[in-house]
Amino acid sequence: MGREVSESCVDSVIIEMVSAYCNRFYVNKPDLAARRIEAIGYQVGLQLSESYTRILLVARYTMERPRFSDHLEAIKFICKDFWSELFKKQIDNLKTNHRGTFVLQDNRFRWLTRMSSDPSTANTDSSQDPSVATAENKSTQATSMHLYFPCGIIRGALSNLGIPCAVSADISNLPACELQLSVCFSITCMITR
Amino acid sequence: MAPVAPRSGDAVFANVERVNAELFTLTYGAIVRQLITDLEEVEEVNKQLDQMGYNIGIRLIDEFLAKSNVSRCVDFKETAEVIAKVGFKMFLGVTASVTNWDADGTSCSLVLEDNPLVDFVELPDTCQGLYYCNILSGVIRGALEMVSMKTEITWVRDMLRGDDAFELRVKLLKQVPEEYPYKDDE
Amino acid sequence: MIVCVAVVGHQNNPLYLQSFTEADDELKLHHIVQCSLDVIDERVNNPKKTGPTLNETFLGLLYPTENYKVYGYLTNTKVKFIFVTTDLDVRDADVRNFFRRFHSAYVDAVSNPFHVPGKKITSRTFAERVSTIVKSFGMSAAA
Repeated sequence: MGREVSESCVDSVIIEMVSAYCNRFYVNKPDLAARRIEAIGYQVGLQLSESYTRILLVARYTMERPRFSDHLEAIKFICKDFWSELFKKQIDNLKTNHRGTFVLQDNRFRWLTRMSSDPSTANTDSSQDPSVATAENKSTQATSMHLYFPCGIIRGALSNLGIPCAVSADISNLPACELQLSVCFSITCMITR
Repeated sequence: MAPVAPRSGDAVFANVERVNAELFTLTYGAIVRQLITDLEEVEEVNKQLDQMGYNIGIRLIDEFLAKSNVSRCVDFKETAEVIAKVGFKMFLGVTASVTNWDADGTSCSLVLEDNPLVDFVELPDTCQGLYYCNILSGVIRGALEMVSMKTEITWVRDMLRGDDAFELRVKLLKQVPEEYPYKDDE
Repeated sequence: MIVCVAVVGHQNNPLYLQSFTEADDELKLHHIVQCSLDVIDERVNNPKKTGPTLNETFLGLLYPTENYKVYGYLTNTKVKFIFVTTDLDVRDADVRNFFRRFHSAYVDAVSNPFHVPGKKITSRTFAERVSTIVKSFGMSAAA
């Protein structure tokens, strides 16, 4: 299976896309830029979920592999198989409050570890100097802009698996990343005619 | 004499971090589609894709030089071969061919028969003016500018428009002498 | 011979519907597809608690009519594939093989960045691939 490209191709287009939306198309409108970046991720997530659920059927299991029977199974699919296809590793920790909130924790989020080696988005050391603090603040802002893309991917994938949700990311412990899914369980009455 | 540039990027490609092309293809596709929605004019989308490519190219050249063992190319002819055989292979995993040199050796065509950017892509009728792969021409232009070659790159053939291959015409406009790489006042 | 294939979205919205018959029974075929959707809903919402078909993507024979047999498949993204055949003797392996190839063609079609999710699949490539898969149905060497 599968053709491959160098990972720097993916990194480059994502970094450039985020930069184009933040610094060229929607300067001073970070909310709009964020929404567009998230939308791009959403479309990728929709498409990847079609493809990766199929890969799961074909490559790892037989056709008899069951369909996901509930939300938890679908979310586990995201944490294991989907994440592995995307980032070559699984989610490190999955927590839930059993009321529709799930927290997915990746201790070395690939896109952040690779990005922080990029000088243009490098982190500055924390310091008392206010000007450095601003730079750090800016860098955090840039990083969080990049996170709208993977958040969109996960939202797109889950919504395509029948789980409409809101996804947000917490990166207070770089390069660890916590994605919080707030699943809006929509209850539909299925009346069979 | 300068060391001979590698004739193939296979070994380089085998050594870089690689990912499934699907993520790249879908991400690029989603970006193009979002650009069409946001910028409305297809012409403007072409321009922005080229600009994005340019910005990528001026950064990627460092990675290329570092990992490919290409130290310097003797001339534009060799440069074109290196782009086609090593550059394309190292990043996209495919190889282009160089053809149609003009008499004075300053313009040639890069022909790509296999292109991971367009897997799954079918252009809708409303996007007929779109150069879907315009990011590629920007990348090449940007990368070459960093090694002191100013070029102009245009699309001659495009498989999404029904041609049998992708063909980029690369025209060398000006080669800044190596000694003064940053002096460019024209 | 397969006379009709359909792709139906998770809200039972038609995404692709194609007949392969010269006879003037298109409406009838579409009606059969419609009815089989009800069978799928019924099976998915009230699965028999025993048996191997629980939660399987391959739904098997949905129902036989006098002249047709209808088979179904449900992806994890809740998209249904259905085909109607006039063959009376259909091998399970052929049906599974058909859906495996069909699923692959479907994934490629919705990977087109210009495909709008939930809207009809208009891809020419997809139509051609489907037609090839339909034509080769049952032609695989006996396993």
